Amino acid sequence: MSDILNIGASGIRAYQNAIGTVSENIANAGVEGYSKRTTVINEVSASTSTITRREVTAASGVTTSGILRLVDPFKEAAVRAAGADLAASDSAIQWLNQIQAALTGNRLADQLTSFFNAANSVAADPSAAAPRTTMFDAAEGAAGAFRATGNALDQVAANLDASAQDSATTFNGLAAALAKVNDGLSRNVPNTNGSAQLLDQRDQLLEQMSAIANVSVTTDEVGRATVRIGSSSGPVIVQGNSAGALSYDRGNDGAVAYAVHFGGNITTAQISGGALAGIADGALRLAEAQNQLGAVAGAFVDGVNGVQATGIDLDGNPGAAMFAIGGDGAADVEMVLASPRGIAAAAPGGGPLDNGNLANLAALRTSAGYEGEVTQLVTDSAAALAAKQTIADAQATIHDNAIADRDSVSGVSLDSEAVDLLRFQQAYSASSRVIQTARDIFQSILDIR
Amino acid sequence: MQISTNQFYMSSNALMQALSSQADKLQTQISTGKRLQAPSDDVVAYQQLQLLSRATANDTAYKANIDMAQSLLDQSDSTLSSIVTQIQRVQELTVEANSDTLSDSGRQAISTELKAIVQTLTQLANSQDQRGNALFGGSQGGTPVTLNPDGSVTINDTGQAAAIPIGEAQTVVPTETAQDVFGGIQTGSGTTDLFSIISGLTQALDAGGSVTAAASAAGDALKTALDHVSDAQASIGARGARLTLLSSAMTDIAATRETQRSSLEDTNVTQAITDLQKTMTILQATQASFTKLTSMSLFDYLR
Repeated sequence: MSDILNIGASGIRAYQNAIGTVSENIANAGVEGYSKRTTVINEVSASTSTITRREVTAASGVTTSGILRLVDPFKEAAVRAAGADLAASDSAIQWLNQIQAALTGNRLADQLTSFFNAANSVAADPSAAAPRTTMFDAAEGAAGAFRATGNALDQVAANLDASAQDSATTFNGLAAALAKVNDGLSRNVPNTNGSAQLLDQRDQLLEQMSAIANVSVTTDEVGRATVRIGSSSGPVIVQGNSAGALSYDRGNDGAVAYAVHFGGNITTAQISGGALAGIADGALRLAEAQNQLGAVAGAFVDGVNGVQATGIDLDGNPGAAMFAIGGDGAADVEMVLASPRGIAAAAPGGGPLDNGNLANLAALRTSAGYEGEVTQLVTDSAAALAAKQTIADAQATIHDNAIADRDSVSGVSLDSEAVDLLRFQQAYSASSRVIQTARDIFQSILDIR
Repeated sequence: MQISTNQFYMSSNALMQALSSQADKLQTQISTGKRLQAPSDDVVAYQQLQLLSRATANDTAYKANIDMAQSLLDQSDSTLSSIVTQIQRVQELTVEANSDTLSDSGRQAISTELKAIVQTLTQLANSQDQRGNALFGGSQGGTPVTLNPDGSVTINDTGQAAAIPIGEAQTVVPTETAQDVFGGIQTGSGTTDLFSIISGLTQALDAGGSVTAAASAAGDALKTALDHVSDAQASIGARGARLTLLSSAMTDIAATRETQRSSLEDTNVTQAITDLQKTMTILQATQASFTKLTSMSLFDYLR
């Protein structure tokens, strides 16, 4: 009889725990990173065993052997990998978009076209003031467009650096938090609510880290994560309760370098996923755009000045330089011609009505093709952007599917929790009925007179 | 597969957001009339559009030059016509002078008229074009022809007239120089100019006596001079015809270009509106089914 009482009591305790876990699941159904938990309930059997025989002598109820977290580490890893790929593309798209906006925003090609067409108008009436003034203003416009485009690209570079530093700082914060979680896990009892909470945090931190830089993760028996940047042979950033730091650097050639500082050692890190990989992509494209724009600006300045030098201006003097370019490439293009009369329209020996030298300018326009080069610059970067967008669309689908796959295991479904709640509630009621029955039986013995 | 509650809300949200952004994109395409909002929307189309817009901008500049060249050619043509009329009058006077029965006073009258014609020719030679420069002033401008106090005329060296760009690697010289119009006349006794021919005749007339020899020499030379000017006029006319052709070709190309641009860049409004309607219908259906699904929960039945 006391057995029945004990068995009933153990049922009450076990199903109380089970209902507690179900309530926890329901309460956290909307929480990001929460994994569904179940209470593991086992039969308690007092058994006597010999080498050849195991004999169950008496049943002694039920016990809670732990709280199980429903996760599939492979699915978690798949979500991390897909997230890193998607974040890399998304961040590359962000920078390519900015580069595209910087290249097209100031309508550089259109300004150059205006300049050359204004020269054609001067050719029709070389001594008149109005067409010369128009060409003078168009030259100022072309110089301004080079400057503005160069400055816009410089601004993108500054934004890119700031964003990369921010991301690296965030990543280092996450790494430090993960080291704390590792520390917590080594002191926590496995298969408890406490350890489940820490493991949820661990997985969430890892997912956030992979969105910044792809990581390779191994875990030990209590769930402590060792994190390497990049592949499984990459430098360690988190091990046990110590975390390293990731640093960002962009060289003069525009190439991005990442390094891990861990335990006094500095190791170069190869990052192929996450926002930082996208930043490296964007930095390369940006450097290319800056170089190409600088080359076009230099060629334009030299070409036009060369043509100016072969002609004579309206006052009969040899043509002076129209533009100047400094060391900072396109952002340093200046219009230096003093007045519209300085436009060297005439060939040497030609009078004020001659336009022989402007034919050289038209020939330069055709042979050098500055406008075409600027358009090419835009289309190169636009093509890269379009390709990335297509890839990102595919990666977003892969990421969504990976999440759906993971959540089909670890996500909380309120309907199935309702079913569990009913089930455990009934078992609880039944257990309490067992206790009542035990009391009734005991009472019937006491009632014997 | 079990769908977790969180996952259901998140994916519904993502789906509705995707539909909204699709609707927004279509709305932008319809309201701006442009299919492409950034180069990356269609790289190939962007490159073609750039070429088209550059060609259009070039043609705008070339068209203005063609219009100016056209009116300069018209002016050259009418000035040359006036010069031809004057030369023909000189020819008539030369025939009159070539008569033995002419009195000295008659010769004097012819000489006076010839001198007046020289003045008119000088004015015609120095006429201004619409740019405010001498029409026949070459590259130097100024006065291409100087009437000296002694009645003789000097044709100045003004250099060649500048060619106006009227298309890709195409130019037209819209006028002639005074040297071309009045000088370079080949006669039996070498190269001369129109003013020298006339002044030779006036000198003979002023000297008195028979001028038949001078008049017949002048008559031959004037015939060459007239041919010379008519040639120039024909050449001007031919250039004008070329510009007219070029101008109409440009109009045709502009129309073709506009068709190309429109097909590359403009929104197909019918299709865009249909797509928008479709997207809105799907979005509404998604919202309705979302509302229905979220109102369903087993907890509602636990009492």
